[in-house]
Amino acid sequence: MSRAKAEQQPATGTTLIVLVGLGITFLLFMAFLNVVKSGPILNEANLLYAALIFYAGAGALYLGFGVTGTESYIKFASLATWAGLIANTGAVAHRWYEAGHPPFASLYEMLLSFVWTLAALTLIAEKRYGVKVIGTVTMPVAIVGVVLMQLLRSDVRPLVPALQSTWLHVHVTLAMLAYAACALSFALAMMFLIQDKMKTESFLAATGVFTLGIYIAILTRFERWGGLNVVAWDADNKQEMFLSRGVRLFVTIPDLGWLMLLVCATVAAPLALYILARVKRNENFLAIANRAVFVSILLQTLALVFFLLRARDGQYTSLDADGLYRTTLAASPFILSGLVAGIFANLLYLLLLWRRPDLERHLPDADALDRITYKTICIAFPLLTLMIAAGAYWANRAWGSYWNWDPKETWAAITWLVYAGYLHMRITRGWRGRRAAYFAILGFAVVMFTFFGVTYLLPGLHAYA
Amino acid sequence: MALTLSSALRKTWQTLSSIKTGVILIILVVIFSAAGTIILQRPMTEPEDMQRAYSPAMLRLLDAAGLTDVFHARWFVALMILVSLSIIAASLERFPNAWRYYARPYKSPDEHFRRALPTQAQIPVKDEEHALDAVERALHKIGFKPERIVRTNSFSVFAERHRISEMAVYIVHASLLLIFLGGIVDALYGWRGFLMLTPGHQSSQIELRTGSTRTLPFAIRCDGAGEDTYADGTPKKYWSKLAVVADGREVGNKEIVVNDPLVYRGVRFYQSSYGRTGKLDKLILNVTPAYGPRVNREISLSQNETVALDADTTVQLAEFIPDYVVEDGHVYSRSNEIANAAVRLVVTSAKKNSSVNYWLPEIPGIAENASSPYILEPKDLKTGVYTGLQVSHEPGQWAVWAGVVLMAIGLTFVFYVSHVRFWAVPVADSQGKRTLWVGGAANRNRDAFDVKFKHLVDEIHEELMAPPASAELETLKH
Repeated sequence: MSRAKAEQQPATGTTLIVLVGLGITFLLFMAFLNVVKSGPILNEANLLYAALIFYAGAGALYLGFGVTGTESYIKFASLATWAGLIANTGAVAHRWYEAGHPPFASLYEMLLSFVWTLAALTLIAEKRYGVKVIGTVTMPVAIVGVVLMQLLRSDVRPLVPALQSTWLHVHVTLAMLAYAACALSFALAMMFLIQDKMKTESFLAATGVFTLGIYIAILTRFERWGGLNVVAWDADNKQEMFLSRGVRLFVTIPDLGWLMLLVCATVAAPLALYILARVKRNENFLAIANRAVFVSILLQTLALVFFLLRARDGQYTSLDADGLYRTTLAASPFILSGLVAGIFANLLYLLLLWRRPDLERHLPDADALDRITYKTICIAFPLLTLMIAAGAYWANRAWGSYWNWDPKETWAAITWLVYAGYLHMRITRGWRGRRAAYFAILGFAVVMFTFFGVTYLLPGLHAYA
Repeated sequence: MALTLSSALRKTWQTLSSIKTGVILIILVVIFSAAGTIILQRPMTEPEDMQRAYSPAMLRLLDAAGLTDVFHARWFVALMILVSLSIIAASLERFPNAWRYYARPYKSPDEHFRRALPTQAQIPVKDEEHALDAVERALHKIGFKPERIVRTNSFSVFAERHRISEMAVYIVHASLLLIFLGGIVDALYGWRGFLMLTPGHQSSQIELRTGSTRTLPFAIRCDGAGEDTYADGTPKKYWSKLAVVADGREVGNKEIVVNDPLVYRGVRFYQSSYGRTGKLDKLILNVTPAYGPRVNREISLSQNETVALDADTTVQLAEFIPDYVVEDGHVYSRSNEIANAAVRLVVTSAKKNSSVNYWLPEIPGIAENASSPYILEPKDLKTGVYTGLQVSHEPGQWAVWAGVVLMAIGLTFVFYVSHVRFWAVPVADSQGKRTLWVGGAANRNRDAFDVKFKHLVDEIHEELMAPPASAELETLKH
């Protein structure tokens, strides 16, 4: 069946290349908007822009390999990752020099460090462990990270008193290292599932659930008469607008809600077809599902473009206050990264669908991947432990208590517990293979929630990050 | 009866020590802590916000279930105790075996063991003694200290490294219990509170989080407090000069800033907040005689202070009104915020036995500024500041930090240090030929171990080739 697909693919492949090309052009354009204003060539914004180009290039080369099967693309992708890492290092160094402290003080700076660590670890995994195509998963994450950075406020701000502590730097360095190691273990677990002969349609289902989750999350902002609520942006202070302490002011972009609803339906279609195929035991539905994925990518891109056009710079009414309020992309970084992540996830699925045999040839065998995943977690877990300890020590000096049960702390502890569970099941119960891989994936999901979700969804002391 | 009791006990013990129970408990802790971050928690939220967020019925339900203060609810504490018990039980259950393994290392492998060991090699040799010497030299070369094991009917060589790694997991579990212990001690004997001071004042009364007050056996005096800002106005530093006063004398002092507390007898004082009190600290005035030569002079006054302007005249700061308003010929204060301040000064002449109410700013109809012998102009108004100190006493924190250090050590051993063992036994193979059986085992990181084992076998081969004399020289060199 997969062979039949491979033969069909050239026609759709060209469309895909155009699509991906458009996507990347668009990313570069967005980054460019922020670059024009800057002065000297080797400043941080330009270096970051260069890093984005190279990371996006690496991502495109991996996808190119997916579409055409040209193996030399992988080598070039690796080279592009190197170039991106060098530019990224420059950006980190520049930032450090400008700010006078290591770049960990804001979400922007932490993303900068996170992306750097992720790229470095990707190269280590490629060179040291021979996982050549690991970049197919990590590069999109890096790209989303850099794009997010373009939106967050990046001006060097002096440190508020609570952040003037060496322990903070220790804490955040450890956090970034640990999270990057977790991201890598996630990527390796996915690779393992590919090598473990997990059925391609299971990946279809997983992609479907992931993307559907994103759109359902976005649709929680659905407003009556088809609008979509986004946070208002205070242009003078370059921050979100607040009604009162902790309560954000939402404005409604008309009609965008309907579009999101439509896209949500198209995203749900492959999943529904998959379930239908399982229930009716009819393989034909799967073939339709794969075509539906293609349609859903097109519509997702449409949703992204419309979102960008409407939310980039505009004034809208709000239900909570009179008058018109501005909003910009920077006010909704999570909707944006959700949209981009959805597209990447589906593109990765297509890559798997069309190029599975090639991918399998380039990956170490399942056993080795399983062991490397475990090793990565063996690195991540002590780092997580030390990260929590350094954070507790810092909290003790800043707030007078080493443990406050603040949401970020609690979620860090939950992350720790999930990985502790993984290690116990693996060491004492001998969990190997699939179950261990699922656990590694769950662990990374919790990490992502701790990193992003807690900051934006839950209230707490960690207001700086 | 006794039998059923003991069997019930055994059953409880088995359940408690099983890994399944441990994982279920971990899952429960995860679920309830997650709930505690999603549902608004009473200690961190204003009551009005709670009422706005949930309907009254819902709130009653959440309160009853303890879900509005998960981390201090009895059932959560009970769950944590269960987790601790499960860790203790699981460790105790497995410890004796591990200890036997640790205390009495297996040095002389029997035939059954030799057959079952996955990593092994057989090297044909001529002479047993010569072979074992070669093994010892090879082990020395790769950094091991070999041990000659002589038993009644056999002799062999054994070498190992990092046996402690077998016990590492117990170190980690013990460290976790130590951290819990610290947490429990703090929950029982620790306290947290707040102390507000204005410069020049001292206090030993701490307002506790629970609402009660605690009196310390010593007092804290504030000798100054302030705020530094960056050029753009964002705060850079808050500081307070504190002194510890015990039995009427100063026993210590420190300038504290955020992130750097004062510690005295286990009680910690943290810089937490800073602000203005709405009270006057100092008023700086420019004084010019109304008649005669115009000579400027600057004086500074605090509340109720009197300063002599010349031999005959004095001025006193009689009243400070932070936010004044005039009604029916009287001056009132609307609030305690310094928004629209006014001061009443009394200029008194001793000779004339007269005094004048001098208002700044001049309030028409009330002020008698015109009849004052001096013109008083305000130059600066310094208002009082306060410093808010978080006070905490956490006697258990040392157990927590010790636990953290211990855990770091334990985890290092668990993940990065493996117990490596090598055995070498001269045996006769199936055809009766003399061979050297070499075996090895490692409890983790098998890939690296396989490489090491191969390396050892190569070294043994090399040593077997080398003539004995030069080999001895080699050993001497080491």
